Amino acid sequence: MSIFDNIFHYIGQLYTDRLPYFPTNIRASLMIILFCVIAAIEIYIYILFKRIVKMREEKQIKYWKEHIGNVLANIIVYDETDNTAEIISHFYPRFKKIPLGNKIVNQIVVNEILLYRKNFTGKTAEVLSQLYRKLNLDKKTRKKIANRNWDIKIEGIREANEMEIVELASAIIKYTDDENALLRMEAQAAYIKLSAREPFHFLDRARERILDWHQVVLFEIITKNKKLTIPSFSKWLYSPNDTVVMLCLKLIEHFTQFDAEEELKRLLRHHNPKIVKKSVEIIGKLELANAESFMFEIYFDQSEEIKLEILNAFGRISSGQYADFLSSRIYSTDIKIKKEALYAIKRDPDNGKNKLREIYNQTTPENQALIKHVLDDRIKQE
Amino acid sequence: MSRILIAEDEVLMLKALEFKLKKDGYEVDMASDGRQAMEKVKANTYDLILTDIMMPFVGGMEILSFIKNDPLKKNTPVLLISAVGLENVVLEGFSLGADDFIYKPFNLNELSVRIKRYIKQNEFN
Repeated sequence: MSIFDNIFHYIGQLYTDRLPYFPTNIRASLMIILFCVIAAIEIYIYILFKRIVKMREEKQIKYWKEHIGNVLANIIVYDETDNTAEIISHFYPRFKKIPLGNKIVNQIVVNEILLYRKNFTGKTAEVLSQLYRKLNLDKKTRKKIANRNWDIKIEGIREANEMEIVELASAIIKYTDDENALLRMEAQAAYIKLSAREPFHFLDRARERILDWHQVVLFEIITKNKKLTIPSFSKWLYSPNDTVVMLCLKLIEHFTQFDAEEELKRLLRHHNPKIVKKSVEIIGKLELANAESFMFEIYFDQSEEIKLEILNAFGRISSGQYADFLSSRIYSTDIKIKKEALYAIKRDPDNGKNKLREIYNQTTPENQALIKHVLDDRIKQE
Repeated sequence: MSRILIAEDEVLMLKALEFKLKKDGYEVDMASDGRQAMEKVKANTYDLILTDIMMPFVGGMEILSFIKNDPLKKNTPVLLISAVGLENVVLEGFSLGADDFIYKPFNLNELSVRIKRYIKQNEFN
């Protein structure tokens, strides 16, 4: 008898013949050991099975990636002059041989087409878009958008966005104000690109916050998309959603929309100081002289930050109407206010420097030092 | 037959560029990362090099810098492919001697025309 036979024989005896004669605690321990051994074996079998399945899947993915990559690479090398429909009909049978019903293969086709679509323009992009539809992948994208899970919805929205499936804009709009910030952001970015008629309609219904960094993303999308028709963003300055107002202010500034003047004046009394500050900044940049009196009215009720912005705006406009007000700021106890006011006076190209020299002769030594500083053209304003 | 090296870490892109340039009648050599590209550049002579800027191990800028500092290879046209159109990246590329910048997404046929032009120009020189 070998050593293993002896061990198995002993274990066998332990759990059959001898078990009833052990005390209860030993019997319980032996049963626990038996349970643990069986569980460990089961877990090992499960892991082995999973690994085999994963290996097969990886092999399958590798094969199909290469195959699909080759077919797609053939498609994209067509000339600009070739007929799109002919290219599609030539390659369609090859794609029909691919088992698109298989979830993994289907996703590979989608991913590879998206990757090419993202990297190429012209005929290639056109062919890929049409092929996507011809293979009914757009229907799968629609299903993904309607899925209950937010991550799958996002996947679908991204696909629609990349492939420019404009028909899906109506399905996407409802997610532009979703509670889930990630889904909301993805939907907004896609909607701008896909909605031909009203790409900014989502701003009308936006109740949820547009996060600061997403404002940057949307700003990039809007300002870089050459196909967009840019509306007057002033109509959204009435939005109860402060983040919508903020985004629109940035866009008004970028597109120098002078027609927003009345709304900008109104926003000077907005409850949100960030909006007030941004409005003042735009008034200054657009040099809206008619808004000066409104800025003057609110000046004394504002924080230092906004006061500085107002003084800066007065300087940019340089109408001369508020020169006395600016001069009087030199008696402020706040050094920043004094400096900003002096720079604002200096900005008047006709009389700025003379005005500063005039003040210089009538003011305190401390203010004189400050005026000297401001008048020195070698020193840049911070 | 003109010989072109394509250095691109995205396999699908590499394949697409290979197919296109082979169809245009070029002999194509490929590198799927910067280190491989650098080895190929050192060992061979090419009529044009098309390289992605962002690659593992060695970036496109380093490859460009190596080529333009090598007296025997400095006339080889180098076209940089980039998804980033940042001003400082473009300036750095041109200051190192890049012949052209191709921004993703790009038109394959336009790329083809540009390559043809640079190869002709190089032959003429």
